[in-house]
Amino acid sequence: MNIFLRELKANLKSLLIWSFIIVLLILIAVSKFSAFAGDPEMLKILDSMPPAVMDAMNMNAFNLTTLTGFYGIMFLYFGLMGAFAAAMWGSDIISKEERDKTVEFSLVLPVSRSRVVTAKALAALVNCVVFVLITWGFSVVAVQSYNPDQAFYDFLALEMQAMFMMELIFLAIGLMLGCALKKYKSSGSTATGIILATYFMSVIAGMNDKYEFLKHFTPFYYYDAGEIFRSGQLNTTYLAISFAIVVVALITAYTVYNKRDLYI
Amino acid sequence: MSIIEVSHLTKFYGKSRGIVDVSFNVEEGEIFGFIGPNGAGKSTTIRLLLSLIHPTSGMGKVFGLDVTKHGPEIRRSIGYLPSEVFYYEGMKVIDLLKYSASFYEGNFTERIKYLSELMELEMNRRISDLSYGNKKKVGIVQGLLHSPKLLFLDEPTSGLDPLMQRKFFDLIREENKRGVTVFFSSHILGEVQRLCNRVGIIREGSMVEISDIRSLQQNNYKKISVTANGLTPEFFDTPGVTNVQTENGSVNFFFKGDINAMVQKVSNLKLEDVNIEEPTLEEIFMHYYE
Amino acid sequence: MNKMIFQHEFLIRIKSVITWSLSVSALLFVFFSFFSVFAVQAEMMQQMLEKFPKELLIAFGMNEMNYDTVLGYISFYFLFIQLLLAIQAGNYGFGLVSIEETEMTADFLLTRPVSRAKILTSKLMAALASMLLTDVVMWISMFTAISIFSEGKEYDLSTLLLLLFSVILFQLFFFSVGLMVSLLVKRVRSVTPYSLGLAFGAYVLSAFSGVFGDVKLEYITPFKHFEPTYIVNNGALNTPLVLINVAITVIALVAGYWLYLHRDIHAVS
Repeated sequence: MNIFLRELKANLKSLLIWSFIIVLLILIAVSKFSAFAGDPEMLKILDSMPPAVMDAMNMNAFNLTTLTGFYGIMFLYFGLMGAFAAAMWGSDIISKEERDKTVEFSLVLPVSRSRVVTAKALAALVNCVVFVLITWGFSVVAVQSYNPDQAFYDFLALEMQAMFMMELIFLAIGLMLGCALKKYKSSGSTATGIILATYFMSVIAGMNDKYEFLKHFTPFYYYDAGEIFRSGQLNTTYLAISFAIVVVALITAYTVYNKRDLYI
Repeated sequence: MSIIEVSHLTKFYGKSRGIVDVSFNVEEGEIFGFIGPNGAGKSTTIRLLLSLIHPTSGMGKVFGLDVTKHGPEIRRSIGYLPSEVFYYEGMKVIDLLKYSASFYEGNFTERIKYLSELMELEMNRRISDLSYGNKKKVGIVQGLLHSPKLLFLDEPTSGLDPLMQRKFFDLIREENKRGVTVFFSSHILGEVQRLCNRVGIIREGSMVEISDIRSLQQNNYKKISVTANGLTPEFFDTPGVTNVQTENGSVNFFFKGDINAMVQKVSNLKLEDVNIEEPTLEEIFMHYYE
Repeated sequence: MNKMIFQHEFLIRIKSVITWSLSVSALLFVFFSFFSVFAVQAEMMQQMLEKFPKELLIAFGMNEMNYDTVLGYISFYFLFIQLLLAIQAGNYGFGLVSIEETEMTADFLLTRPVSRAKILTSKLMAALASMLLTDVVMWISMFTAISIFSEGKEYDLSTLLLLLFSVILFQLFFFSVGLMVSLLVKRVRSVTPYSLGLAFGAYVLSAFSGVFGDVKLEYITPFKHFEPTYIVNNGALNTPLVLINVAITVIALVAGYWLYLHRDIHAVS
């Protein structure tokens, strides 16, 4: 498990940078919230906006003037950041061996390739978990001045679980891309492309009934903050689909990585 | 005008020393060897002359022009064979050679053909598919195709099979006969000894010796091996003798001093065999590290 | 400028240019196809909004929403196009010279008889040509989409052109800042996190601007310099902000040149 420890250390800087960014985001967002907090006029304006616009801005389900509502909208950013961070960690941790030409060292050690992948995947997973915990913890601290109620804490907990699920999915996809793609250069950009595509799919699916079928293909819809808020829980079907995606991605990752030639 | 003129050249990477106060000249038509242990500053010196890095102080001139000011002009007539060769992976060999040729004035199709055939290079393969040795061959052709007047060779034969090495050296000698100056850096001292007229030894960032090979050998010491019945090492306990060793009945040692005195001494013995040799560059070199 | 380097650089990016051009166009088309839906709802909303005090609307930036006009609708989703273009420009900027060092081909290129200034200029021109190509494709898509989806509604051509041409300067900002930053860092092992960070960072700055009161962060983000709503509603560019944008771009480019000319290219081994 020295691989695991080494990777943890190597990825610490990246974790700190992402955490710093999300902390900054929360700070700015919460400050902005003061403009909306409890303002009835604002509420009326929001009610009168066309639903299509609200869908695109992901604001449909939420009362922006309440803390819970505001945080519901923030979830989009958390989800996006979590997705990018996880995908980058996942794909990078595998492809860097070929990119930095350390393959001839790391993959010639008396460890099976599967063990190597497992150790790296776990290290990346730790990063994801810590990232969610930091987001969660700092959110709690940041909103103290607004005296949040139990409902908020419950909702926040759900949101953070959803964020973790998003991370899990994209981590697995990132790992799969890093393991499967021969051209190590492409894994990062392909992951980005997938994230952007699924994000826009969720936006479009929400905007227009014609495209609503798209929502089945995008994790941004599985963990749509509005749905979570309305039902008070994570949708079990979508959870199952998520786990299925993760499992398939991981199996692909392990299988392909064990078989393919490593690029020197 | 010396082809290369290095004067008090110094390079510091932050606080760590690259090279310090290095000076030497290389004349036209010479094959100049540049040797030293790992980390001595060989790469630093070469990279400074190629304008890949910038000096902290001091001056380097090639063809009489300052390297920091006239880089592009100088490089028109320079060929560089780096020790580690990396090219654009997606390209085919012929594409890379044509791309390189496009930077120089003239038509080099014939020359490219001649060189590639000589080095047995496959033109249509992708760079990414080549072995290390084959990539080196691409490096050789790329460095020579524009008939430069000065060649920088940095570990040029590492990765080449013995036949290719021989062809390569023949090529270099031929170029040299036509007047090309060669700056040759290598760890394979046998090669340096065979090829070079003069040698510069660099160690820990400073030049410790610059001289031609013959003088180096002569001014150093002789390797003497004497075989005689009942001979003991103590017999050679005289000034100028070092590194006495016994092996299979012979006594071997290094001697620096008046050779007449030594010959006199040895002739007093009933000899079975005697050998007086000049040290190889390798032995001289190692000697610097004791 | 060296023609060979320009050609080489341009060809390397061809695949990327095609991908970006298609993605941007696809996005543009899909969004525009919803125009009719929005147009209907927008009329309803306009009627409601008219009942509110103007000051309140301005405070929340909602006095300018008119999704039933062609330009108004475009200004609503143009942000997404800008986001994609920012990432593309950032990719090219961060990777322009850093890739040679990561792939270790710098030793080859920089020992040719070409000055570093010429090398950089050739690379720059090639990257600009690539971005321009994507922009042109986007413009064509825009006009095509308008002709298909706009239901014959009128719009002010000059304003639209202003908006469309603004992307050139917009991309130049991300490109040159990316270039400069890549030269300040010792090693850029992967371009993607940097360019994503820059693009999203700039976006977040504009989305959350005005929060810190007097500290106007919005002055440094191109998403505010070239805010579509402003351009559409005023029929002109926000001159002071655009000047800031150009100034930053120029400074970054000059810094980039200086840094590249003085950069030490270290040995691979």
